[in-house]
Amino acid sequence: MAYPPGGSVVTQIEVQRERRFAGSQARSIPLVYVGQHVQADQPVIRLATNAGADQAVEAVEAAEAAAPVAPVVVPSGLRGEVIETTSRGGVVIKTRAALLTGSLGAGLQTAGVLSMWQPVHTRPLPLPPGAILVIPGPVSFALLRQAAASGVVGIVASSVELRDLEGFLGLDIFDLLNCIDVDKAQSRLPSMTLLFTEGCGALPMPDATIKLLSRYQGSIALISGVTSLRYALRPELVISPPDEEARLNWHPQPLDDDLRPGFPVRVCCGTHVGVTGVIEHYFVHQQTFLSGVQGQAVRLRLADGTSLIVPIMNCDVRPLA
Amino acid sequence: MQTEPYLGEGSGSTSSQNPVSASSILVADCGSTFTKVSLLGLVEGQYRLIARGVSPTTFAAPNEDVTRGIIQAINEIEFITGRRFVADGQIVSPEDPAGDGVDLIVSTLSVGGPMRVVVLGAVSKELETLAAQAVSGLHAETYAIPAPSYRATMMPDALSVVGSGRGPSSPSQPATWTPEQFNTEWQRQIERVRELQPHAALIVGLADSPAGATTLQEACQLVIQAVKVLGQQAKDGQYQLPVLYAGAPQFVEAVRRMLNGYAEVTRVETLLSQEQFAPVSMAASALYERGVIQRVPGFEKLRSWSNAVPVGAASSLSSLVRFLAQHYAMNVTAVDVGSNTTTLMMAGERGEFIPLVKPGIGVGTGLGGILQQVGMGRIARWLPFSISEDELRQFSVTHMLHPQALPTNLRELQILQAFAREAIILARETISEESLGQFEADLVLATGGVLSHAPKFGQAALMLLDALQPRGVTSLVLDRTMLISQLGAVATVAPIAAVQVNENDAVMHRLGTCVVPFGELPQGQTAIRVGVEYSNGRQVTAEVMAGSIEIIPLKLNEQALLTLYPAPTVDVGLGPGERARAAEEIDGGLVGLIIDARGRPLSFPSNEAERQARLLQWMQVIGA
Repeated sequence: MAYPPGGSVVTQIEVQRERRFAGSQARSIPLVYVGQHVQADQPVIRLATNAGADQAVEAVEAAEAAAPVAPVVVPSGLRGEVIETTSRGGVVIKTRAALLTGSLGAGLQTAGVLSMWQPVHTRPLPLPPGAILVIPGPVSFALLRQAAASGVVGIVASSVELRDLEGFLGLDIFDLLNCIDVDKAQSRLPSMTLLFTEGCGALPMPDATIKLLSRYQGSIALISGVTSLRYALRPELVISPPDEEARLNWHPQPLDDDLRPGFPVRVCCGTHVGVTGVIEHYFVHQQTFLSGVQGQAVRLRLADGTSLIVPIMNCDVRPLA
Repeated sequence: MQTEPYLGEGSGSTSSQNPVSASSILVADCGSTFTKVSLLGLVEGQYRLIARGVSPTTFAAPNEDVTRGIIQAINEIEFITGRRFVADGQIVSPEDPAGDGVDLIVSTLSVGGPMRVVVLGAVSKELETLAAQAVSGLHAETYAIPAPSYRATMMPDALSVVGSGRGPSSPSQPATWTPEQFNTEWQRQIERVRELQPHAALIVGLADSPAGATTLQEACQLVIQAVKVLGQQAKDGQYQLPVLYAGAPQFVEAVRRMLNGYAEVTRVETLLSQEQFAPVSMAASALYERGVIQRVPGFEKLRSWSNAVPVGAASSLSSLVRFLAQHYAMNVTAVDVGSNTTTLMMAGERGEFIPLVKPGIGVGTGLGGILQQVGMGRIARWLPFSISEDELRQFSVTHMLHPQALPTNLRELQILQAFAREAIILARETISEESLGQFEADLVLATGGVLSHAPKFGQAALMLLDALQPRGVTSLVLDRTMLISQLGAVATVAPIAAVQVNENDAVMHRLGTCVVPFGELPQGQTAIRVGVEYSNGRQVTAEVMAGSIEIIPLKLNEQALLTLYPAPTVDVGLGPGERARAAEEIDGGLVGLIIDARGRPLSFPSNEAERQARLLQWMQVIGA
């Protein structure tokens, strides 16, 4: 039985991502070539801020030579190989990575340094500018504002109250989720990119996710908050592991669609939202729930040893702790 | 209301097999959230639904191939039947003597989103409405962008330059646009097209306004700009924007020359009235299949499996609804509430047909669209409990992000069913009152997960009565198989199978006959007295109070003669106070004989506690 798409963590996977500066009409010029190996902090794109996207590269460079401006560059965010440069000025990088897919997010693709952060009630810790802050729990409107003001480029948190999120973004979330021109809509948001692993509410971050993110503390990562129901896009965090791990300790698991006994899952919807457990039994026949609705179901064994029967469609796959 | 049936909506079959030789048929439907595959087979010489599998649709990353979801759903069928239908990632065909494999494969799709069509040229309000109606039966949305010169001459006050100090002009002194205003409007339109990223353009208008042929020239220039600008945004630098030309016929060659090298131009009949709906709709349908359906990841593989070109689910449903209307010689309304699209199709026995596909409205990813359009109050009015706006919005976002999730408690179920009601109402509201008033449904056929899989039949019946608010006498039928949207496509390759499965399985779940008195219902008094004479001679009389629903037991496969005695100001279709006696026996159903005397239009007590109590009472009576 196939599991439904949703938030997930894949610790080792080969991915290809186009690195580009979306939401700007400025001309993007690749700084790298196909076949080149790049580091995560290496600039890969330059923005020609005094030229439109419709101008040829030669015309842009001539204009810049005549009236030099400080270059705006975009770092790779990933360690890998450039496999393509696109017509719109992006570069496609192939990388071995850890991939965290969130439930809900906002904001354009950006790169930053992963920094674990814990709120301290007595004295707030400083928020490092240029960081992708990892908050292993729900985040509030106040913290979002504080982080944005401190120059944080991204936040990975477990969840947020919808009211707080809409207040921070300054818009109706439904407009964002259903918009046609994703780049334009995202470019109008506050510049800090957001990724919520669990979605709306006051849901905790699973231990396995915290462990994964802690492991890569200090690494440069690429975060995208784009969430589009129209184009089936979800927010993601792509982390290129250290070179040694990518070369020597690389054992990617093939993507497995089937939920089977022994798989760890999280309940993403319904009465027991946020609960995590391991599939103990897969019911052959549909089960009836309190709502009266019938559906394919699994019995989960929870951490405290108790069991729970939930619809299989209400489960997301989670990594083992 | 259209009086001509659409011709050739969607692609026809590429082959049609003698149904005697097709022992088994796999029917796949790829929706925006779920992929459903049904196995049809011969049972005692009749085609029946044998088994069904459901899987999440796999058109998005990391799968990006709808055939994966189809295979997963087929795996369920294999588990149920013990037969093998898939080998090495391919569907086994034809069926072998051991029962493995399948003879025919048919598929429909509603994944890939609606086709966005920009309507350009001399777009008057009338033409804008006509264009929207012409594509209303497709999974499509129209966006009108009248040419700047048309706006300048016909809608001069529509644009004012910020800071110009200009207010609206007076009627005696019509405003004229300055070059600055034209330029502003031009930039606005380019930006609008860039934002919309349309799949197609429809150029309309006779060029008989004061702006003349300039409107068509500007429409072409906008298409050229769109292709250039959107091409720069595309990863591969290419952007295709096919054009349907339904404007002044004398300029079609000029339009072709202007757009040569930028866009493919298809000429259709000049759009002036409803009479040109069919050719515009046919051409738009072809573009939808090319521009949306055929770009769905995995389409080519699906096409290679299928015995007919996969078509849009809406096209398939429209074929069936029109067939049912003519076959049963009655007015049929079909309702399909999906995850992101709600479809309403009305077909009359004389060939009248009103199709409406409402994208972005549904009980999965379409929840936000409903909430934005109707507001919290209209959702909450259907709930027998109080709910805050925060809770409703948060519920909506969570469910939109996980549209496949099932409601596990009654509160969630009732919220989703409230949204389903408003989805149907929104679709009805799009149809003109004039068209609705001329059409009274004899049969309402309902499909879509929230209706078909409602835990109680009474819930489905109440949703339909609340949303459609029929009058007079009508029958409600539930498609528990969720096959009716695919049977039109099945009919292109195996018409007998489509008819037999429809009659044997798809329309088997009759909820009951509904009697809905309307007019001035006397509050606190009997609205109607109903006399029922069963086949065994037993007679029952019920007095139904205004504002209430009553269920008179009449089971499935039972029939009875009905006599209606409405109050003097109450009508059941023959005039106020006129007694009515059915010429033939009426059919029972899974709910029974439903007398809905709540009044039309439906109204609720203003007091919150009373409203909730009234809702609970209605739910209890009908078995919801």
